Amino acid sequence: MGRKKKKQSRPWCWYPFCFIGEDDDNDGSPTVTFTYCNREFEDEKILIQHQKAKHFKCHICHKKLYTGPGLSIHCMQVHKEAIDKVPNSLPNRSNIEIEIYGMEGIPPNDAKEHERQRNGGRPGTPSSGEDEPVQKKAKPEGLLGSAPGAMSGMGTGLPGMPPQPGMPPQPGMPPLPGMAPHHGMAPHPGMPPHPGMPPMHPMMSMGHVGPPFMGPGMMPGMSGMPSGMQPPVSGASIPPSRPLFPSAAVSTSAASTVASVSGSAPLGTDFKPITSVASGGSSIGPVKPTFPAYSSAGEAGVSVAGNNLAGGDQKVNLIATTGAASKIIHPPEDLSLEEIRARLPKYQRRQTDESGRSAQSEAAAAAVAVAAAAAAAANQQQQAAALQQAAAQQQQAVQQQQQQVQQQQQQAAAANAAAAFQADQQQRQQQAAALNALQQQQQRFPRPPQAVMVPASAAAMPVSSVALMAPLMRPTMTLAPALIHGGNMMRPPPMGLPPGMIGAIPPGAAMHPAFAAAPMGFPGPMLAPMMHPRFR
Amino acid sequence: MESRTEFKIKSPPTDAISAVEFGPNSTQFLLVSSWDSTVRLYDIHANTMRLKYNHDLPVLDVAFQDAVHAYSGGLGNTLKMYDINSNTESIMGTHDKPIRKIEYCAAVNAILTGGWDAAVKLWDPRTPTCVGSYLQPEVVLALSVCGDKFVVGTAKRKVCIWDLRNMAGMFQRRESSLKYQTRCIKGFPNEQGYVLSSIEGRVAVEYLDTMPEAQKKKYAFKCHRIKENNVEHIYPVNAISFHSAYNTFATGGSDGYVNIWDGFNKKRLCQFHRYNAGVAALSFSHDGSVLAIGVSYLNEAEIPPGGSDEREIYIRYVNDQETKPK
Repeated sequence: MGRKKKKQSRPWCWYPFCFIGEDDDNDGSPTVTFTYCNREFEDEKILIQHQKAKHFKCHICHKKLYTGPGLSIHCMQVHKEAIDKVPNSLPNRSNIEIEIYGMEGIPPNDAKEHERQRNGGRPGTPSSGEDEPVQKKAKPEGLLGSAPGAMSGMGTGLPGMPPQPGMPPQPGMPPLPGMAPHHGMAPHPGMPPHPGMPPMHPMMSMGHVGPPFMGPGMMPGMSGMPSGMQPPVSGASIPPSRPLFPSAAVSTSAASTVASVSGSAPLGTDFKPITSVASGGSSIGPVKPTFPAYSSAGEAGVSVAGNNLAGGDQKVNLIATTGAASKIIHPPEDLSLEEIRARLPKYQRRQTDESGRSAQSEAAAAAVAVAAAAAAAANQQQQAAALQQAAAQQQQAVQQQQQQVQQQQQQAAAANAAAAFQADQQQRQQQAAALNALQQQQQRFPRPPQAVMVPASAAAMPVSSVALMAPLMRPTMTLAPALIHGGNMMRPPPMGLPPGMIGAIPPGAAMHPAFAAAPMGFPGPMLAPMMHPRFR
Repeated sequence: MESRTEFKIKSPPTDAISAVEFGPNSTQFLLVSSWDSTVRLYDIHANTMRLKYNHDLPVLDVAFQDAVHAYSGGLGNTLKMYDINSNTESIMGTHDKPIRKIEYCAAVNAILTGGWDAAVKLWDPRTPTCVGSYLQPEVVLALSVCGDKFVVGTAKRKVCIWDLRNMAGMFQRRESSLKYQTRCIKGFPNEQGYVLSSIEGRVAVEYLDTMPEAQKKKYAFKCHRIKENNVEHIYPVNAISFHSAYNTFATGGSDGYVNIWDGFNKKRLCQFHRYNAGVAALSFSHDGSVLAIGVSYLNEAEIPPGGSDEREIYIRYVNDQETKPK
């Protein structure tokens, strides 16, 4: 494409520029100091050299780039500076985003115009072999057109060029295929892969890097990796299949061992429904360790963390953070940074300070205090129920309890000892409760009087059990919302639409038809195995 | 040059930044939630703090419902709604454990929250109640709305996709294609898929369509890694934010860098200078002209990267060169 063209006409530079002359600042007139470089070159190599030197040179480090976008990216990446136009170019041809490489990428109109000029020539062309910028003479030239007499002008203007009588077809030529109309789109078959560029550059450089170019980091293989390759984490009995990455192997095997350990935890039975929901997919067997293991860890991270008792109980998967030549900058536990950070003592303490202090205590604060207070109660079952009641009441009557809350916060500490060893059990209990929330709540709901005693017991609690309050409040919170909403929220209406949302959905989007017609088209039969039947 | 395109917000939170979010239809207002238990609203045109309200525990996420309603929640388990016009706050309800993610879903005008209690709850802003609670397989770590679906990333690398039009059951269940803990998920503005990042310096581009042709397009790539003394330090990719018009996205890592990617063409468009601490949160404005960058150390390692414990919010005006696919 470009080759053929080159045989017919010689390469020329699309960028016109004003060469900095001595007296440039005096007059802007193009008479003396302006040099136009949309001149023609012996061959494309020289043209490219010219472009690199004159137009694509970084003004900061003088590195020579290959294209305008290349230069712009270089400046942005290396110098963090934005370049808005091509150096040494005139305003109409300074678009840094147009990708010109030698003769590639010149807008077809300009190419046509150039040919017309060459054919038409111009009387006043300097004999240096330079050409005027297309735009500059576009208007006058347009008037002149390719006047019949222009042939001679061309002869003088381009000494090295034999007048080409065969040119006439050219003005009418269709845009060269190689010259894509727009920046960034032109393929650059012959283009070297930017050897000198910083490593990041190729990825960003324009469209010419073919689709397979994903950079060293992009792993095409990842996409194809079947999920089956993952060692079944929860299936503790199954030895992990050989993982792709050694580091992953460590973590997964660690995971599975941890999981197996926790699998023996008493929780198992209660979690059956949940686990199957949780693990639902193909890879997970009947062993149900995953959820308890993680959730107890998560729980510890969340709330118990502040105190030491959490330590013994945690069964957290570990991440192999250190490989042969790499290190993952992350704590070894497979918890989120937030879960880990939330354990910091200051976030426990802050709770007391602020909740005790804040004029308007929120329901949460109230619930926390209540929970802490109630924790003193010996019987956990009753306590849980009481907590639910209390929380519910709290939610409804936050304002009234503000002052109580403050007092409770200060008095809460005594509960610590008793609360501490209970925390773990409570966590589990709470999990079970969450799972069986509906039944439990419905059973417990009708017991109103316990709510009354909560503040009283709270008042009896001593100070500064902040850290402990978090675990204790959990049971409360677990059941509270469901209780408040009559348990209904846990089980959406059969239509699958939450009641409050029905009005919010455009009438056209009727549930089932819409779902069936969803663009993503996930046919019912396929969907079925993925969902646990009991999933709510 | 830097000062023109980028500046720090005055009076930033006093502890790590957990989330930043631009208002839905202007580049003027930015919500910031923090581990100092506050939610702050900044006017970035004037570079002032407009208002601040408190939770009793660190706030992990915040979301705009519309220009005047903000939702926030965190370690206190409580979801708060704040009316910016009237400066009043109200309690929407609670999770059993801390609330990790809050998203507003315009398709059904509802608030979605995901918590460490492994629940995703749906809230109706008009009648401030929880209208649905949906159990997830594990602790919720990431959540993003993607049109009329939403994508939940949980511990144990599970990914659950729900269809808001039919919440009777999960729409799709997947496993993360990354081998490490999910850190962040964001849906493409064009609703075709989502981007998922992990703690191990890696980002996956995924498609919702389960047809093999669509799935063939998914891929993952490494990023946010720094080689020091022949050891490659691999950082968590904490934040993702999409440019709404171009479908390009920014990622922020604990390495302190922000990269902007063209996910469809598999190209990196640019990388900003290194910030003094990890990038914890990112948000493009609705028109993609401004990027808010929450910079905080998140206890990724014993010693903060770069040794600094900076907590800042940078506002960076980005141009097409940095965000538009080439």
